Amino acid sequence: MTRRGTGPDLAVGAFVLLLGALALWQTSVIPASPIYAQVGPKAVPYGVSAGLFVLGAGLVASALRGGWSHTLEEVQEAPPTNWRSLGLLLAGLAANLVLIGPLGFSVAASAQFVLVAAAFGSRHLLRDLVLALVLTLLVWFLFVELLGVNIGAGVLEGLVLRALGQEVM
Amino acid sequence: MTRRRHLLAAAGLLAVTGQTQAQPRLPSLYMFIPAGPGGGWDGLGRAIEQVARQAGLVGSFQFENVGGAGGSVGLPRFVSQRRGRPDALMVTGSIMVGATLTNKTPVGMKDLTPVARMTEEAGVVVVPASSDIKDIKGLFEALKANPGGTSIAGGSAGGTDHITLGLILKALGRSAKEGSYVAFAGGGPAQAAILGAQVKAGISGYSEFAEQIKSGRMRALATTGEQRLDPSIPTLKESGVDVVMTNWRGVFAPPGIRPDARDKLVALMTEIHALPAWTEMLKTREWADAFLTGDAFSAFLAQDVTQTEAVLKEIGLA
Amino acid sequence: MMDSIAGLQLGFANALTLGNLGWALLGCFLGTAIGVLPGIGPALTIALLLPITFKVEATGAFILFCGVFYGAMYGGSTTSILLNTPGESGSIITALEGAKMARNGRAGPALATAAIGSFVAGTIGTLGISFLGPVVVDLALKLGPAEYFSLMLLCFVTVSAVLGGSALRGLTSLFFGLLLGLVGIDLQTGQPRMTLGVPELLDGVNVVLVAVALFAVGETLYMAWRHTNAAPSVRQVGSIMMTRQDWKRSIGPWFRGSLLGFPFGVMPAGGTEMPTMLSYYAERKLVKPEHAKEFGTTGAIEGVAGPEAANNAAAAGILVPMLTLGLPTSATAAIMLSAFQSYGINPGPLLFEQQGALVWTLIASLYIANIMLVVLNLPLVGLWARILKIPQPQLYAGILVFATIGTYGISNSVTDLVLLYVIGIIGMFMRRFDFPTAPVVIGMILGPMAEQAMRQALTISEGDWTTFLTRPVSLAILILALVALVGPRLYGRLVNRAP
Repeated sequence: MTRRGTGPDLAVGAFVLLLGALALWQTSVIPASPIYAQVGPKAVPYGVSAGLFVLGAGLVASALRGGWSHTLEEVQEAPPTNWRSLGLLLAGLAANLVLIGPLGFSVAASAQFVLVAAAFGSRHLLRDLVLALVLTLLVWFLFVELLGVNIGAGVLEGLVLRALGQEVM
Repeated sequence: MTRRRHLLAAAGLLAVTGQTQAQPRLPSLYMFIPAGPGGGWDGLGRAIEQVARQAGLVGSFQFENVGGAGGSVGLPRFVSQRRGRPDALMVTGSIMVGATLTNKTPVGMKDLTPVARMTEEAGVVVVPASSDIKDIKGLFEALKANPGGTSIAGGSAGGTDHITLGLILKALGRSAKEGSYVAFAGGGPAQAAILGAQVKAGISGYSEFAEQIKSGRMRALATTGEQRLDPSIPTLKESGVDVVMTNWRGVFAPPGIRPDARDKLVALMTEIHALPAWTEMLKTREWADAFLTGDAFSAFLAQDVTQTEAVLKEIGLA
Repeated sequence: MMDSIAGLQLGFANALTLGNLGWALLGCFLGTAIGVLPGIGPALTIALLLPITFKVEATGAFILFCGVFYGAMYGGSTTSILLNTPGESGSIITALEGAKMARNGRAGPALATAAIGSFVAGTIGTLGISFLGPVVVDLALKLGPAEYFSLMLLCFVTVSAVLGGSALRGLTSLFFGLLLGLVGIDLQTGQPRMTLGVPELLDGVNVVLVAVALFAVGETLYMAWRHTNAAPSVRQVGSIMMTRQDWKRSIGPWFRGSLLGFPFGVMPAGGTEMPTMLSYYAERKLVKPEHAKEFGTTGAIEGVAGPEAANNAAAAGILVPMLTLGLPTSATAAIMLSAFQSYGINPGPLLFEQQGALVWTLIASLYIANIMLVVLNLPLVGLWARILKIPQPQLYAGILVFATIGTYGISNSVTDLVLLYVIGIIGMFMRRFDFPTAPVVIGMILGPMAEQAMRQALTISEGDWTTFLTRPVSLAILILALVALVGPRLYGRLVNRAP
């Protein structure tokens, strides 16, 4: 048994214990309900918290006995962590979160598209950008026109509407 | 933000040509629905749009739906984003009164500017057709003797149906928390539980049960409004329990608008209410007219809040 | 019976006009389109289309709605299979084997068996609506919360089919799902639970959001984590057609799934999810030994055909209580009821008598929509499967954009997006540490349903736990659950002991 797998697996067990603690804390703050009911709102949450604790403890025990994940074929054969790809992808998710409010759906989703494509090694950034803009504007347009749903119109959408001669509110 | 347009509205061939003749009172109106599309508040909002647009009272409507937790998610957004704007309305009703108290939202009904109550629906207390309980007195006796053994189905806990039961129990000298209330998600499962006699009785909006009552699968014991809805069904009030509880819906303006802006909105709603098209709309939808504005509406609202809060306190929700 | 046939004749005569066929076609198209998008289901689409009730006569509007409803069921499976992003909760189970088949060059047959299975199920379901409706509903009304709780326990047995290599890790996933299912306002007491004080969480966490986060976002993140700059292997699209063997292996699951799904749809608290789980479990147990290895590895066609048929048959079943009793037992049915009301029609036990022509036209249009959909979808299989030919960077980018549209598009809530991404990151680690993701979703669906049913039953019985054993139907289901749980193990032991 190598000790290589123990650390990460231990962290997973600890995370599950933490989830159990979170569940327990959230259960304890549920106000007791005076309603005539045989099983109150807290019973099942307590059960789930307890289950998470038991399972978390089991995972910790398993990790201390050497862990499980280093024996997995997939993990053994896996290439090393690609920080660049993962970083770009997470940046894409973050960009979407930050931009979607102020700039609207198309801009945010396009930024996400370009960053995610780059994360997977695309070198044609400009082509991706054009593709993304066309795709997202098309989807947005279909939504607004067909279903009358407003999916977060922003800067770009306003321009399109103005170009079409429609009133923008 | 864009105006809501529809494929089908745009496909002019289907549209009934809207005859706009008069100068619109408002060029545009923003309608905020603190619930998803398709529900009661949304339905009222769209009905107002339909009638006002056809009569040319409002130039254009813009809708926004923000659903969640009986309006608790939408309300703070409306209050903060539309504060002081004279051309915005929110459709809401009695469900939000309970929800804001239960969820302890940072802003409440008192932060809104009441414009008009438009419709209301009385509730009805029913039993399965096979039940031994024959009339409302029978149910009262069962509730007085053994509230725990008299299971009553309705919508989610703390909602209008639950509050109605709480008020009945209080009026009978019991406590709201003693009721054996079985909450169901949505009208279908609750109706199924009553039809299948899984529970002793049920409470819900009259329209939900109306067809089951007509077909004889459920027996209506009493309605919860001020007056009888159906000449053959008594009200709770005349049966000796002083409870009036309806599910009302109305429109509110944001806080901080000038009095003249509020008067303009009240005038608009009064005008819509007076239109024959509105009467027609109430008739097809089977909504009861409950038009009320100004101080009378504010007084009603205050009373509704007090009454709801009292029950919610007893069942541990406020 | 004779009434039904006469009614159907009338219905077909009404539905087969050019205008009504047009509405059906439009509905099928729209339904397929929105079914493809995660998070946007038929209920929401019909709700958004409601204003047309002001302009279009009732028959046309309902034909359109039915087209949307059935179309969404077809469309929902497409993205489940191709992109591992289920469009609605009924097709989450389809994604389990479907996505694995697609990854192993069998996207065509997976899509085809889903489409044909949907057709078979839709037809069986619609036949059920036409001829069995009132009878089945009366039976379904005999089920109370106690029986539903027992049914849900039976469904929990199905988790064992997806636990993966380690019971410890599988159960951890299940409990994570149960925890997510607890979030929101408690139905029975109105108390908020596990919301961390966030108002957006009061209505709970959407199960489709979690499925998309774990299956699609998590997978994409994991792929980036392990991305190498070596030329990615070109994905095989493989043969589009189902082979003879595919047909043979699909027929049984189609029919079993349909027969399982329809009654669940009719039950007022049944829904489309439970039968897909039971069907998946059944197919996994019934599969011929030589194909058993394909489950969970390269993808077994039985695991697509069965659940997809169950999903569609259940969807058809949901219309039964709506049409015969006026009971809206799903969000879609509730919206359709409100559409009836805007025409001044009150659906209820008397609907068939009072609005016979409309109801039979609606049923006839279901048959028509079903045929249109299979005719539309089968040729599309080749086209859809070609999506997999999109180069990896753009494909993954596209998947994430789709997940975003479905999540943010409707709710306009950044909270939902944060949830999507956070659960996606958890999904990435689950993949790394070999935790199965399907039990999370199963726990999330079944947990809240089982808890509420249990508490409803106990309130009704005044706290008497024996209610689950003294009600005969409940007891029978519990025994079945027990057999399903220990039966295979006992059987296995017996077989092993035999020489």
